[in-house]
Amino acid sequence: MPTLTAPLSPAAGTDRAAVAEAGLHLEIRGLTKRFGPFTALGGVDLAIREGEFVCFLGPSGCGKTTLLRAIAGLAPQSAGRIVQRGRDISRLPPQARDFGIVFQSYALFPNLTVFDNVAYGLRNRRDDRGRIRERVAELLALVDLAGSEAKYPAALSGGQQQRVALARALATEPGLLLLDEPLSALDARVRVHLRGQIKALQARLGVTTIMVTHDQEEALAMADRIVVMNHGTIEQVGTPAEIYRQPASAFVAEFIGSMNFLEVRPDGAHALRLGRRRLDCPAHDCAGDEHARLAIRPEAVKLCAMNEGLSARVEHIEFLGAFLRVGLTLAETGQALVADIAVRDAEALGLAPGASLGVLLPSEALRLYPGREARA
Amino acid sequence: MRVAFPMDGSRWLSGEALVRLVALLAALALLVVGLLFPLASMLVKSLQDRAGDFVGLANFARYVQTPALMGSIVNSLTVALISTALVVGLAFLCAYGITRTCMPGKRLFRMLAVLPILAPSLLPAISLVYLFGNQGWFREALLGQSIYGPIGIVLGMCFWIFPHALMILTTALSTSDARLYEAAEALGTPKWRGFLTITLPGARYGLISCAFVVFTLAITDFGVPKIIGGQFSVLATDVYRQVVGQQNFQMGAVVSVILLLPALASFVVDRWIQRRQVAQLSARAVPWRPTPSPLRDWTFALLCYAVGAAILLVIGTAIYASLVQFWPYDLSLTLEHYAFEMLAGGGWASWFNSLKLAFSVALIGTLVIFFNAWLIEKSDGYRVLRQGLHFLAMLPMAVPGMVLGLAYIFFFNQAGNPLNWLYGTLAILVLNTLVHFYTVCHLTSVTALKQLDPEFEAVGASLKVPFWVTFRRVTLPVSLPAVLDISVYLFVNAMTTVSAVVFLYTSDTRLASVAVMHLDEAGYFASAAAMAVLIFFTSLAVKLAQAALSHLLLNRAQEWRQAG
Repeated sequence: MPTLTAPLSPAAGTDRAAVAEAGLHLEIRGLTKRFGPFTALGGVDLAIREGEFVCFLGPSGCGKTTLLRAIAGLAPQSAGRIVQRGRDISRLPPQARDFGIVFQSYALFPNLTVFDNVAYGLRNRRDDRGRIRERVAELLALVDLAGSEAKYPAALSGGQQQRVALARALATEPGLLLLDEPLSALDARVRVHLRGQIKALQARLGVTTIMVTHDQEEALAMADRIVVMNHGTIEQVGTPAEIYRQPASAFVAEFIGSMNFLEVRPDGAHALRLGRRRLDCPAHDCAGDEHARLAIRPEAVKLCAMNEGLSARVEHIEFLGAFLRVGLTLAETGQALVADIAVRDAEALGLAPGASLGVLLPSEALRLYPGREARA
Repeated sequence: MRVAFPMDGSRWLSGEALVRLVALLAALALLVVGLLFPLASMLVKSLQDRAGDFVGLANFARYVQTPALMGSIVNSLTVALISTALVVGLAFLCAYGITRTCMPGKRLFRMLAVLPILAPSLLPAISLVYLFGNQGWFREALLGQSIYGPIGIVLGMCFWIFPHALMILTTALSTSDARLYEAAEALGTPKWRGFLTITLPGARYGLISCAFVVFTLAITDFGVPKIIGGQFSVLATDVYRQVVGQQNFQMGAVVSVILLLPALASFVVDRWIQRRQVAQLSARAVPWRPTPSPLRDWTFALLCYAVGAAILLVIGTAIYASLVQFWPYDLSLTLEHYAFEMLAGGGWASWFNSLKLAFSVALIGTLVIFFNAWLIEKSDGYRVLRQGLHFLAMLPMAVPGMVLGLAYIFFFNQAGNPLNWLYGTLAILVLNTLVHFYTVCHLTSVTALKQLDPEFEAVGASLKVPFWVTFRRVTLPVSLPAVLDISVYLFVNAMTTVSAVVFLYTSDTRLASVAVMHLDEAGYFASAAAMAVLIFFTSLAVKLAQAALSHLLLNRAQEWRQAG
């Protein structure tokens, strides 16, 4: 785990309690995957609870898909252990593990009907035909595709194909459902719709689910917990709210949502200096450092009259429908800052490019990360 | 460890991994026994004297000191280079006509252009003798030169190799990106400059690859020079003469090693080019469509029709010659040349043997090669083994038929070889033909397999379905068009090939293509033509059957292939 430079909410404590309560489904210890000299996964530790919906989130190449494929046994790890429901599956091939998987490409068998696709894993269990037919009908009803048995995948839309893939993966009642970017091949509208459907289905069936995605909105909307990954290691594990409100590292802060970063000098454990101004902020452990990065979300920045806060100049204003995005330059340090302001408040302030006004940075919204800004 | 998890999965699973490994090892054994060991024994033979003692490079030294043999190298190179220049030039123009003009009758021309592949390379040589030989109708056109020799060889090669070149170049030229031409036009580029800066560079790799394929085919072909070469000897006929004529196996091995060199060189160059040819065409490319331009369209149409007419003339001559009483004196029609029984060459039995061989190779070869390609392409683990297999699968392309056939004699006819019993059976002909034409089938399989979703196997595994079930229920049906292509390719080649099998048949397993050669040697020219025509029509029938079958299958599969 990376060191947390800012305090965590009490939620971190309930984590362990909940684990004990619901029981572990999957336990990963020191998982490492190397491709030649390249380390795709560097000693990942992770515990996933029974019935939980977990998202692996990160930029492309961060190792999230590699981690998923290692859990499935499709790309065995170089070192480390995977334990599923108390059974060590580290060295087992995919056939001997208990999971269903849905791929970004759907990977439906094009020459088989929807029925045969869904029944593909059932046939192998030598169930009798009547029971297979019942089960397939039940699964198709579950994904809202009742009556499509005789169609071929090519006759279905992308969203429908993905739902067939989901039904096929769930057919054998796996203990673990793996979703590898299941929505990224779909267009935006279908994606949002299917997102809700998958989440509702997962909650209804209670099947432990891991989804890989690079879309933070998707992760925030669907996951019980998010695992943020970067460069083959885990940056932070937490609920969507924790990840958004208390990002454990500058990377997470920058990757999730939009974030302002300002270069500051720490001043004791509860304050910092921005230019000559001294600001209070939550406890941090950059106290001894010369430099630090102050992070604040645009929607947390408050604008006010000229004489009240830090003085700043309005550079440009973008109209984004529900709110305005205001680009500012701090008068004293020349640093850039973005603020999201409700349209009503903007009118009250008489916001216009070139105007000078005051900026308030509420101390409860501030987070401090060590180091200087990495300049590109 | 396994005992700790008494789930049903873990037991058959080790079985499944084992099956996969055994299958991979079987594929390896096939190519090692069918290719590597024979080639190795040939190399060894070239370093031995008649008594079987090691003599180092003495045989090669003797070869270099024999002017008659050294001359063949120059002859082979000359003929192959001229053929390459002619075929590539002509095929490029025709391919350009097909892909880049609106010439009428493209489909008809493309069908005509495939015909030479269906005939043994002996057929054009026989026809050329009828057309330009001593009693030929167009003898005067040669201005006193004899058709027996380099002229005949080059003409025969051109006929026989043209379809191969046309296919490669049509593919190379049909990958075009309209956006490049539009950009050029918007910049006011003249057409000829567009051709030089867009069309040619785009087809560059196709052209080089085509030139090497044509050169290899020309330098290794045996059928054409055998019939029409006369006193003009080339490497391929030298191998035959040394082994069959003079029973000098050591010198045969030496010539084979020398024949192997240009083929190996062109193989290496081709591989190198293929590696450099990364997808030039992005998925977003817009295919270029020609717009009508009467002068250009008709110029190319005339050229293509002239080529088509020449192809028809050559095939037609063979058919006609096989049907007339006594060319050119008694042109009344007869079927008596098809009564092979009284003549040399084994009669109709040889045709039945060819059928048996062709069907066996098509059936066994298709399944074996496609399954092996699947193992190589879609397994994980055993990386070294799979790479080695891929290399071995590519190698047959570099081994001329004459060389492979002779190598089989050396390896399988060795006293003490446990596989000695294969020698003289139809089985060895099947194995030899399968290995001889392995590479193209392997590449076709790999291309088809690469188009499949890479996750099919993963899905099957996650649903606990054994890999062979997924292979049978999904991979094979989805790849059926490619599988059919492979089987017909194997059938036609097994029907028409002479070079490798000429060393391996026995009186019981004589083949139709070999019979053509023997009938010709014995002076029954009309019957030789008749047998060649018979082979041609057999191949044609199978090709048409395949077209009908693919059409039927595609119609049936229309539902899932083109729905939506």
